[in-house]
Amino acid sequence: MDLFLQTLVSGFLKGGLYALVGIGMTLIMGVMGIINLAHGQLMMVAMYVTFVCFTYLGIDPYVSLLLSMPILFLIGIIVQKYLLNPLLRTETILPENQVLMTVGIGMVLTEVMRFIFTSDYKSVKTSYSNATFFLGNISFSVPLLIDLAFIILLTLGLFWFLNRTDIGRSIRATAQDKEAAILMGVNSEKITYITFGIGAALVAAAGTLLVPVYYLFPDIGGDFTRRAFIICILGGLGSTVGAIFGGITLGLAEAFGATYVAMEFEDIIGLIIFIIVLLFLPGGFKRLIKI
Amino acid sequence: MKRLFVIFAALSFLMFLGGCQKAKEQASKEPIKVGVILPLTGKHAKFGEIEKKSFQMAVEEINSGQGVNGRKIQLLIEDTQGKPDVGRSAVEKLITQDKVVMIGGGYSSSVTYAAAGVAINKGFPFLVNTGSADKITEPSSFTPSGQRVDNLKKNLKKEKDKAKIAVLKEEIAALEKKSAEESRKLMDRFSIFRLNPPVSEYASGLEGFLAKVVKPKTAVILNENSLFGTKGAKAFEKSCKKLGIKVLMKESYDAGAVDFKPLLAKVKEANPDVVYMISYLMDASLLMRQSMELKMNPKLFAGAAAGFTLPEFAENAGKASEKVVSATLWHESLSIPGARAYYDKFVKRYNKPTEYHGAEAYSAMYVIADVLKRAKSYKPADIKKALSETDMMTVFGPVKFTSYGKKIHQNKLETYVVQWINGKLKMIWPENLAKDKYVYPVNWIKERQ
Repeated sequence: MDLFLQTLVSGFLKGGLYALVGIGMTLIMGVMGIINLAHGQLMMVAMYVTFVCFTYLGIDPYVSLLLSMPILFLIGIIVQKYLLNPLLRTETILPENQVLMTVGIGMVLTEVMRFIFTSDYKSVKTSYSNATFFLGNISFSVPLLIDLAFIILLTLGLFWFLNRTDIGRSIRATAQDKEAAILMGVNSEKITYITFGIGAALVAAAGTLLVPVYYLFPDIGGDFTRRAFIICILGGLGSTVGAIFGGITLGLAEAFGATYVAMEFEDIIGLIIFIIVLLFLPGGFKRLIKI
Repeated sequence: MKRLFVIFAALSFLMFLGGCQKAKEQASKEPIKVGVILPLTGKHAKFGEIEKKSFQMAVEEINSGQGVNGRKIQLLIEDTQGKPDVGRSAVEKLITQDKVVMIGGGYSSSVTYAAAGVAINKGFPFLVNTGSADKITEPSSFTPSGQRVDNLKKNLKKEKDKAKIAVLKEEIAALEKKSAEESRKLMDRFSIFRLNPPVSEYASGLEGFLAKVVKPKTAVILNENSLFGTKGAKAFEKSCKKLGIKVLMKESYDAGAVDFKPLLAKVKEANPDVVYMISYLMDASLLMRQSMELKMNPKLFAGAAAGFTLPEFAENAGKASEKVVSATLWHESLSIPGARAYYDKFVKRYNKPTEYHGAEAYSAMYVIADVLKRAKSYKPADIKKALSETDMMTVFGPVKFTSYGKKIHQNKLETYVVQWINGKLKMIWPENLAKDKYVYPVNWIKERQ
């Protein structure tokens, strides 16, 4: 029983982080209709921002959220405004080219970071990196619990933003029907880069929150792009609530896979679920919960 | 006109001769190029770093002394990034473009095995000092039939049908014969020499410690699913069998996992006496940190060298590294002449301790210098001959390449056991050589508070 509960706790805490990674991607997917394959790489950049803040400026990782999120927000805006939107205007180019562009951006980000920091593994060790407390025999990692609190706050903030603010409503309108939104006077181009910025800022938060418990290196992005993609498919493309479900499902699946099948197959289990969902529930969880 | 031509011809001939003379003089003064492949970036960068520093220290000492018959050695260190494919091209580049006379280094089994393939194809001398999978010095593993035999043997284990087993056995016997023939042909090209013991012998020192002190009944083996990891796990399983230890669980993982807790929770539930791990640096640190978070309390956490002896392990794992025991191939307190001096020099120069990886590299450099001194010429065949005649003492221990079992050109050495005591790596076993007393039993929960 302890083993089951411990796996559940680990999987859930990891799933929370995954959810945050997935929400950013699904938001971008909903509005632009493209898969951002540089998503994990943006996260990696945020991790390096946190690393620099901690190592050279002595800023606590949680405080550096205030830096990494705006920086990535700006990077997101620049990417969308100057690299992706111009492709839209060229009529002869297929929309898929934007996706290819994100792949390129991801590679550039990875190599730039490798150039600056080399591919050595870095880690940020805080006093609370390994703090735990026990409920019965179940160990809870303190940093991951703090992460969970941040994730809940950020998600609630995002929902408030999407439902209650003007820009948020415009984002939702654009996601639902772009042409109708333009007719209603929404500046859809501005919305695209704000959305990309928010998506990047959210994944930046995930990266920063992960740093105290993990380590970082330039190639870390690809793994998280893959996971974000799986989460989006699980949740249903463009659904934020779906992404939360998707993230937690993936976290739990990996944890239970590691406990009851084999740690070696951790990644495979995520991919098997991905295929099963594609086969039997093509719309993802979105179809079940209708959000 | 004719006279002019004669004078011109004579002059140019003289100039040509002069040029030759000059080239010869230059050749005898020019440094001898030696290639080294190490992971300087990527996940194994810390291992590469400690070895690079030791190589450089050794080569400076050699050059500031007599050098090699009056000539200096120039080290060309290529980065493998810890990737087998990059390792292969690094060796190609060193041999064909840089025209080095021999190659040293070789970190991580996967990379070394891939790089060794290139060297063997060209019959080029390669002194391995760290890559430890057994098959690196087994010629049969580089032949096509030899590789097929391995695969068939795996099938044989799974097969239950008796008729099929007989067929398989026959096939294996035939292939083994063929592979022996192929290896014989390969022999004059087989140019790999290894300074360090193979991974199957890493735990031989630890075996003694387990048998005499810990006396465990059960064990769990966790390993990275790489060449070094899987072979190390298999070897330890054999050791367990020999000591009558029951292996409750043998699990492998993918390097770079975020969360080992599900795996460790499973280990905790199995409640073994010994947790034996074969991991590189970052996984080793994460495993120990998360085992602390889960308050695991077996009789012993033991590592299979590699990630568990580097100074960065203690840095990354913090107090979770305290009292962890590891197999090792060297320690500065050994009564090998020069061992302590090397350690002190390293600490003085780089302001950080060194361990067996560094000693391997440092000794390899001295072996290379010694070989180049004795070689008749710097042709691969002559260097190979000089290598096989090596019989010298290094800070890593005596170096003499012998053949046993399937291996050839293999240096045979003892292995030892170390323990992290108060943040320092101390040698605790074998008892007659150890200067420090082991700390056992350990209450891990108390230790890590």
